[in-house]
Amino acid sequence: MSDHTEQIKTAENGFEPKILVFACNWCTYAGADLAGLSRLEYPPNVRVLRVPCSCRVNPQFVIRAFQRGIDGVLVAGCHPGDCHYTTGNYYTRRRFLLTKRLLDFVGIDSERFHVRWISGAEGPKFQEVVTDITAAIKAIGPNQKLCDYFPTETLLPNEGGDNQ
Amino acid sequence: MNQEAIQTKMRQRAKELLNSGAVTMVLGWEAGTFWYQSTPILIRQAEDADKLVWNDFCQNNLSKYLLDFRFTNEKIALFLKGCDSRAFNRLLQDKQIEREKTYIIGIPCEGMKDHRLAQSKNEGDDLPLAKICQSCRYPNPVIYDELLTEEVTPRQKIVDFSDVEAIEQMSADERYEFWQKEHTKCIRCYACRNVCPACNCRKCIFDQATSGWNSKDVNASENQFYAMTRAIHIAGRCIECGQCEYVCPANIPIMLMNKKLIKDIDLLFGDYDAGLSIEGQPPLGHFEKDDPEEFM
Repeated sequence: MSDHTEQIKTAENGFEPKILVFACNWCTYAGADLAGLSRLEYPPNVRVLRVPCSCRVNPQFVIRAFQRGIDGVLVAGCHPGDCHYTTGNYYTRRRFLLTKRLLDFVGIDSERFHVRWISGAEGPKFQEVVTDITAAIKAIGPNQKLCDYFPTETLLPNEGGDNQ
Repeated sequence: MNQEAIQTKMRQRAKELLNSGAVTMVLGWEAGTFWYQSTPILIRQAEDADKLVWNDFCQNNLSKYLLDFRFTNEKIALFLKGCDSRAFNRLLQDKQIEREKTYIIGIPCEGMKDHRLAQSKNEGDDLPLAKICQSCRYPNPVIYDELLTEEVTPRQKIVDFSDVEAIEQMSADERYEFWQKEHTKCIRCYACRNVCPACNCRKCIFDQATSGWNSKDVNASENQFYAMTRAIHIAGRCIECGQCEYVCPANIPIMLMNKKLIKDIDLLFGDYDAGLSIEGQPPLGHFEKDDPEEFM
């Protein structure tokens, strides 16, 4: 992650947000791939992070992303009923209905966090969602909440940590 | 029945149970260092039963202490108030403790007094009920083997969310400022986690200092990360005992965040009170196909 202060500087002359997309391997990742294959142009502000299922996304991941200087987070997975693991995204739905409200409660702008269902056939929807979110976040400016903490070398995940 | 009578009965039952060999240990409260504090005590000898007390400050939830004995074969008798009994159910539902290894003596609770306010008062002064007890809906134990006294009437029938709503009325920036101010006070002692009957992971993420997930830095950002993670991890399992606030040395309104989640769960997935029964699953442990859909 580049330096946060540098990011704020860029904001003054055209702010480019950093948006993290948690994409489910089976639907949204394929949808994003389809968007690329179909030559659909979408903003380069998104960083796609592939997860086995949208249910893999722990609310901590989202809070952590904001901490490390991400301006917006999108969690995307299969439509309910289409989960590769049958029921994963039903849990995602419950979990993030709550998380979204909690983030709002602590004062994070609700525009900064989204959950969407995007199937492997919905390349255009991926393009549309990402474009909309990027535009909305550009409008509200860089995220300065939660993120007064910067990683140092010593804090990077080290091998053989006790989380193994 | 007044407090003294309950206390006498407590001691008497503890003695009987220990003497008969029905249990090997009794968990209760003893007089603390200060008059506004009663601390948990663990009794193995019948003669120690006279140390047990019942007063306005027996706030500690004894259920959580059972976790220390989950790998032993001891039969433990413990005194549970209404909120503590919900905690007991909570641990039972998580399969952390065994019902057969415990003997529950329920105490219908008239409410504990505000121990923070008491610190600036003298013994015997009039004190209001603790904030959490003012809105208590379950003063009577929901699970027990015997009750010490007759049941009492709940002070509230519905949850009072007015404090949560007051925060919701603020603008996003005001809310952020409010929480940041509160969380800056946090010294990350993790007392709220240690005391919480919903926090029973074998290894807590916040104990994994080398995982890269969290640092030991005590700053606003890290503290907020901790506070939010804690809140979301116990969402749907909070039994509203208020122990987190009770033990917080920085006086952070932790229950406010818990109550916000309870409010949303009630609205989104239907009314749910954790720990009332061990049937079913907590709200985030299962789903319905027709849950609210706002992520289209």
